Amino acid sequence: MGIALTLERAGFGYAGSPVIRELDLTVEAGEFLVIVGASGSGKSTLLRGLAGLLVPYEGKVLADGTPFDGPSAERAMVFQEDGLLPWRSVRRNVELPLKIRGEARSSRRARAEEWIERVGLAGFEDRLPRELSGGMRQRVQLARTLVAAPGAVLMDEPFGALDVQTRAEMQRLLREVLATTGATVVFVTHDVDEALLLADRIVVLSRTGPKIVSRPTRERILEEL
Amino acid sequence: MTGIRSLERPVAVAPVAEAAKGRVLSLRWVVRLLSLGLVAAAWQVLTTVDARIGVNFDRLPSPSEVVQEFAQQLATSVYYLDLAQSVIRIVTGFGLAALAGIGLGVLVARSQWAADLLLPPLEAVRPIPAIALVPIAILIFPGDEQGIVFITTAAAFFPIFVSTRHAVRALPTLWEDAVRTLGGKRRHVLWHVVLPGALPGIFGGLSVGMGVAWICVISAEMISGELGIGYRTWHAYTVVDYPAVLVGMASIGVLGWLTSAAVELLGRRLTRWLPRAEGSLRWASR
Repeated sequence: MGIALTLERAGFGYAGSPVIRELDLTVEAGEFLVIVGASGSGKSTLLRGLAGLLVPYEGKVLADGTPFDGPSAERAMVFQEDGLLPWRSVRRNVELPLKIRGEARSSRRARAEEWIERVGLAGFEDRLPRELSGGMRQRVQLARTLVAAPGAVLMDEPFGALDVQTRAEMQRLLREVLATTGATVVFVTHDVDEALLLADRIVVLSRTGPKIVSRPTRERILEEL
Repeated sequence: MTGIRSLERPVAVAPVAEAAKGRVLSLRWVVRLLSLGLVAAAWQVLTTVDARIGVNFDRLPSPSEVVQEFAQQLATSVYYLDLAQSVIRIVTGFGLAALAGIGLGVLVARSQWAADLLLPPLEAVRPIPAIALVPIAILIFPGDEQGIVFITTAAAFFPIFVSTRHAVRALPTLWEDAVRTLGGKRRHVLWHVVLPGALPGIFGGLSVGMGVAWICVISAEMISGELGIGYRTWHAYTVVDYPAVLVGMASIGVLGWLTSAAVELLGRRLTRWLPRAEGSLRWASR
C-alpha cells in the first residue's frame, strides 16, 4: 500500500546554503507524482529530503501524517547512477533489503528471484553489476527497490543516462510493475515528455518556486519552467 | 531486451590463435629461466676465479657452495625451528597490526570524535621508523619475544591504518545512501558498504604492511633474537660462515615472497568484483 508524503513549509539545503525554501507539497497515497525542473532547480534535493537523506532546516516532512528525520525502507530511492553494490551479484543486490530486514535466506532468495524475473533478468542472477548494461543495471535497481514492498518509491532521474530505446522500455516496465504494487511514486526528471507519459500529477520546480500544472501539456510545462 | 545480447560470449577463439599464444608463453618462460641461469653462471665464474674487478668476488661464496650449505641446513632441525619462529612472529605481529590498523582506520574515517581523539598521538608516532622503537621495546617489554612482535606490529600498523582510512573516506556516498534508503542502519552500512567497498585500499595497505613487517622482524631478530632466520643469518655473519649467510638471505626472500603472495591472492579473491584492466589481465595470465 502506498503512503502519503507531505512537506509543510519545509526547507532543505547543504552547509548553510538553502536550495528549497518553505515548500508545501502533498503527495497522495498511491499517486504517481512527477517533479520537472531545470538543472539546479532543487529536484534532487527535494527528493533526498523526502527520502530522509536530508533533514529539513525549517518546517516538517511527514509520512502518513507522522514527521520523520531520517531514511527508512518505507521510502526507498532509485538513483540515476545505479547505486548497486558492485561486489554483490544481481541476486545478492536484490536480496539486500530483505537481508537488512532480517528475512530468512530461503524466503528472501525466492522473493528476489521472483522480482528478478519480473524485471526480465532471469538467467542473470549470478552476474556482477559491471557485467550488465546500463538499462539492465537500472532493472536490478528497480527490483531491489520494489522487492521489500516500500510504501513510497523516490526516483531521481533513473533513466537519465539511458539511450532512447532503453529508456522507453524502462518506462513501460516501470508502469507495468508499479501497477501491481500500489506504491506512491515521486519521480524526478528534466524530460517533459517522460513526465507527461508517466505522471498522475506534475509539479514544476521553477526559479520562482513549485507549481502544480493542472491539465498539463508540453507547452504549459515549458511555460512554467 | 537491450544489452542482453551484448553479454553473450563471442564465438570461441580460433584454436590456431590459442596454440600460437601457448607457444609464445612457453618461449617466454624459457627466456626467463635462461636469464636466471645466466646470472647464476656468471656468479659461479666470478667467485671461482676470485675476480676483483672493482667489486670483490674473492670472499663471496659460489652458488655451488650455497647450494651445498642449503642442503646441509635442510637436514638440521634448527633450520626449521628458525623458520617457524620467524613465521610465528610475522603472523602474530602482522595479524595484530591488521586488526588494529583496519579497525582504527575505519573508526577515524567514520567518526570525527574518534579522529580528534586518536589522530594526534598516532600522527606524532607515525614518522618514527619502527626499528627506532627497539630501545623502547627493550624498556617496556620483559622478554625479547614481545619486543620483536611489538616492533613488527608497529611497522605493519601504519601502512594498513593509513590505507584503510583513505579507502573508507574515498567511498562514494551513493552506496551508503542506497543502503540507508533500503532500511540499513549504521551497522548495515559498515558491514555491507564500508568494509567491502574499502577492501581494495585495505589490501594495498596489507601488502605494504607485510613487506615492512618482514624488514622489521628480521632487523629485530638480528638485534635481540635467540632464534629466527634473521638471528641465524646475523650469527652466521659473525662467525664468518658466508654460505650460511646467503642461505639465510635466500630463506628470508622465499618466506617474504610466500607471505606477500598469500596476501595478494586473498586480496584478488575478495575483490573479484573490481574491473580488471587489460594490463592486469595480462599479469593474471602469467
